Amino acid sequence: MERQEIIDGLVEILKTIRTIDPQKLGDITEDTDFIADLNTPSTELINIAAKAEQKFDVEFDDDDIDDLGSKVKDIVDLIIKVKERG
Amino acid sequence: MHVAGRKVAVVGMGGAFPNCSGLADFNEKLFTDQSLIREWDAALAHGKQIRSTVSGFITEAEMGLETVYSTLAEGYPETYIDKLGRIPDINLATADIGSIWAMLGALDAIKMAGWTDSETQSEHTGVVVGSGGAGHVVLRIAWHNFFELNKKSRTAGSHTVDRTMVYRDAANVSCLIKNQGVCEAIGSACATGLGNIGYAYRLIKFGLQDRVIAGGVEGTSLETFIGFDGMQVLSRGFIPAESSRPFDVNRNGFVCSFGGGIVALEEYELAKSRGAHIIAVIDEYFNNSDGDGNMFAPSFPGQQRLWQGLMRDTGLRPDVVKVHGTSTPAGDAIELLSVADALGDSGYHISAPKSQFGHMLGAAGAVEFIAALLMLENQQVLPCLNAETLNPELETFQKTPQWAGPVNPLAAYRHLLPQTTFAKEINRIACLNYGFGGTNSAISISRDS
Repeated sequence: MERQEIIDGLVEILKTIRTIDPQKLGDITEDTDFIADLNTPSTELINIAAKAEQKFDVEFDDDDIDDLGSKVKDIVDLIIKVKERG
Repeated sequence: MHVAGRKVAVVGMGGAFPNCSGLADFNEKLFTDQSLIREWDAALAHGKQIRSTVSGFITEAEMGLETVYSTLAEGYPETYIDKLGRIPDINLATADIGSIWAMLGALDAIKMAGWTDSETQSEHTGVVVGSGGAGHVVLRIAWHNFFELNKKSRTAGSHTVDRTMVYRDAANVSCLIKNQGVCEAIGSACATGLGNIGYAYRLIKFGLQDRVIAGGVEGTSLETFIGFDGMQVLSRGFIPAESSRPFDVNRNGFVCSFGGGIVALEEYELAKSRGAHIIAVIDEYFNNSDGDGNMFAPSFPGQQRLWQGLMRDTGLRPDVVKVHGTSTPAGDAIELLSVADALGDSGYHISAPKSQFGHMLGAAGAVEFIAALLMLENQQVLPCLNAETLNPELETFQKTPQWAGPVNPLAAYRHLLPQTTFAKEINRIACLNYGFGGTNSAISISRDS
């Protein structure tokens, strides 16, 4: 799965999080920080992770989530890592 | 504990009312003797699983809300959209339906009160709002997802706690209006609504706060409804408008309803000095417990002591008694005889708003408090609908040697219970509410003189 394909999927997830301003979703990059750039409430990060598991058909370990950073590339890396882990 | 010279005024109100578009519609329907009770499709959908199917319920659409369902847990309301743009999404994310109603009621009450942002956001402004909370769709789906479907806890998202915790209504209101004073919830079953207002009154009366947003809510919940349905205490066998029939000899249970009532209380001199409209002045609040160890049965001695406590310091007699009047066989008889024991058989009238909208549980005391405020404003007494025939015989408990109350049958008090709204001079109203656990609450309010 290509990284941009994952980012596009993440943007679709972010559109369902009503506490994120949809106007900020136009130029999401790997360096976008969910908290600093999108002003996402920290409580919503677990919702994004859970929806990513469903969308990309992966299951994160608890350690994966505990160690997850707040940038888009962090969750892209995790999704690829878990897919490779199989 | 009272601070000399401090009085408490009611300066605003708002809420959520079954089958009504808002407070004005609620006012119009109540004082034209309409019933707000309907057949409930959500209950009917369960066929023979459920015994009673009438309710004063409120749908999301009726409140201008739309449910956003989770893709991770079937049927789980992930959040709500306010189609009318009254509540920001960040506040909706932490709210269940009842909390949203509380926030909407608070906004309306503050607007009516005319509080500035600096007054609302002061450390002298508190929030005291509670609910009965006997069941909840958020917890039901989250628990089913975890325990029955064996899914991870995170699939229910990160808001099951803030949306279901005991004082969620107060917390959500506080986060919305950004007050810096007290934020708490009082829970006392079906006396919750009045209990929160009474506690708020004391906070101001005792000099701890200058303003308080107070009340009770009970979000529409089939989970709550079926708990009471299983107890066989809900009304059945009547058309919706005739299902709630307090004091009628053929009453067979209460109508389980939902709603919210929020009021703005303010220290009287502060309200007066800024030219606020004083809807009512609170004379006194008193509450106690039966002390007989009985979770459910009403207590005549407990209610006797309630009346003594309410009138002890003021000696004020009401022109109208807004009763709890649930339409249950046991509750109504004890209550009517307690009122008659305290006030005699003339000089006042009894109003039973549950006859029009059913029993809103944790919201009942607050919504009925608003009904009493409207009676003061309109100078009209709301009826006791469907109280067609009062028992001409003595109640069984009246024939026992230990009975120490009035020895007249309920029918002797027929003249106190109007079946239609009527006008009269109303200077003072007493409001009564009781709850499981033997808790009793009473408040006395007066017109500003």
